[in-house]
Amino acid sequence: MSDPLPPLRPGDAIVSVERVSKRYGRVAAVTDVSLEVRRGEVLGLLGPNGSGKTTLLRMLTGYLSPTAGRLTVAGFDTEREAMQARRHIGYVPESLPLYGHMRVREFLSFIARLRGLSRRAAPAAVDEVIERVRLGDVAAAPIRTLSRGYRQRVAIAQGLVHRPDILVLDEPTNGLDPRQIIETRALIRGLAGERTIIMSSHILGEVEKTADRVAILLGGRLLDLRSMADTPDLEALFLSLT
Amino acid sequence: MSALAVLLRKELHATFTSAIAYAVAAVFFLVTGYTFSLTLFFTKVANLTYIFHQMYVLLILLVPIITMRAFAEERKADTLELLLTSPVREVWIVVAKFLAALTLVAGLLAGSSAYAVILGLYGEPDWAPIYGGYLALLLLGALLVAIGVFTSSLTENQVVAATCALGLGLMLWFADAASYMLPAPLDVVAINLSLIGHFTTFVSGSMFLSDAGYYLTLSLLALFLATRVVMDR
Repeated sequence: MSDPLPPLRPGDAIVSVERVSKRYGRVAAVTDVSLEVRRGEVLGLLGPNGSGKTTLLRMLTGYLSPTAGRLTVAGFDTEREAMQARRHIGYVPESLPLYGHMRVREFLSFIARLRGLSRRAAPAAVDEVIERVRLGDVAAAPIRTLSRGYRQRVAIAQGLVHRPDILVLDEPTNGLDPRQIIETRALIRGLAGERTIIMSSHILGEVEKTADRVAILLGGRLLDLRSMADTPDLEALFLSLT
Repeated sequence: MSALAVLLRKELHATFTSAIAYAVAAVFFLVTGYTFSLTLFFTKVANLTYIFHQMYVLLILLVPIITMRAFAEERKADTLELLLTSPVREVWIVVAKFLAALTLVAGLLAGSSAYAVILGLYGEPDWAPIYGGYLALLLLGALLVAIGVFTSSLTENQVVAATCALGLGLMLWFADAASYMLPAPLDVVAINLSLIGHFTTFVSGSMFLSDAGYYLTLSLLALFLATRVVMDR
């Protein structure tokens, strides 16, 4: 379980990205991006493929190091205080990396322990997340035998099992059928408020239906960051910016 | 350390539920058992020197197969991203993979100790070379596992990882052959780099700290390099 955060008011920034850039040799994946994410909100990162969304999320989770700039998660620098920062984040990568030979409960127990839950606390946390993500039917099944929809749920469950303050989702509905997309969106909306959610998508409707604010990225640059309440026509805005 | 224990448990489970472990064990015991029986039958001499040299070659050939999946499989399945975004230091991930593979190697050596027990029951072997030989094989196994973990960290292709580890193992084996062509002091370096030069002293019953230091130093170097590769993502 992540360490308790210092008392923050709703709306205080829990994630801060300050002038962050990431280069691979001569290629700039992310350039001079600055933004803040408030506690309890759902932030949608919107942009076409190759716009830098995944790179930005990977820097946030500590998987990649920024070439320039600074990121903080719950007040912890993702580079200098990486271990503390990572305790506050649950991450669901787009590729759904799961150990196919493990059973669902076994996998979630492993992740719970890996993310710092004690041997005593882990089983209750696993039971809780299995119920929350509705994995009870397949808890004893090997992951490799599950459908794409169930694998997505297992991936989300591993991001939640250590009860992080921030959940980072990279293209969470990619490859799902319409029913699974609706269920995943409902799950994300259900988590909003109690957790801060940062999700990337290249689908306008996805962001419209789930996010409180939207950050539009193109070519690794942040073009706009605004509240969905102030954005009656996201499609028109996206077209005008890109 | 708690994270290391969690990772080690997962790695041990992955190692011992894999068909690779049992295929390697089958080949190892088939070949060494066959050679032990023949040697004992024909020479009737109670020593394991010949078997130790055969195990030395078998470890060079088989350890890359044990270690090839260590990181390559994680890279291929993208599960390395899960580990590296958890609050766990990269060095523990490397050490867990190293210890799990070394446990299998130690298991093979422990199983082969049945040959020593048979010699002890029916003959009067000189035990110093036997103890030395097993210590040398364990140190050799640790070095080969460390090299295998390192090469596995470089690629997502398991065959490439195994081939590179095999190549490095063979080059270290034959390193002393280059000494004839090298000027001083490089010839001494080549001789001292050789795996076999540091192995035969143990098997003859002589134990030198310098020989143990050779295996430990190179093992730590390979694990350090593997950790650096995992960190530089």
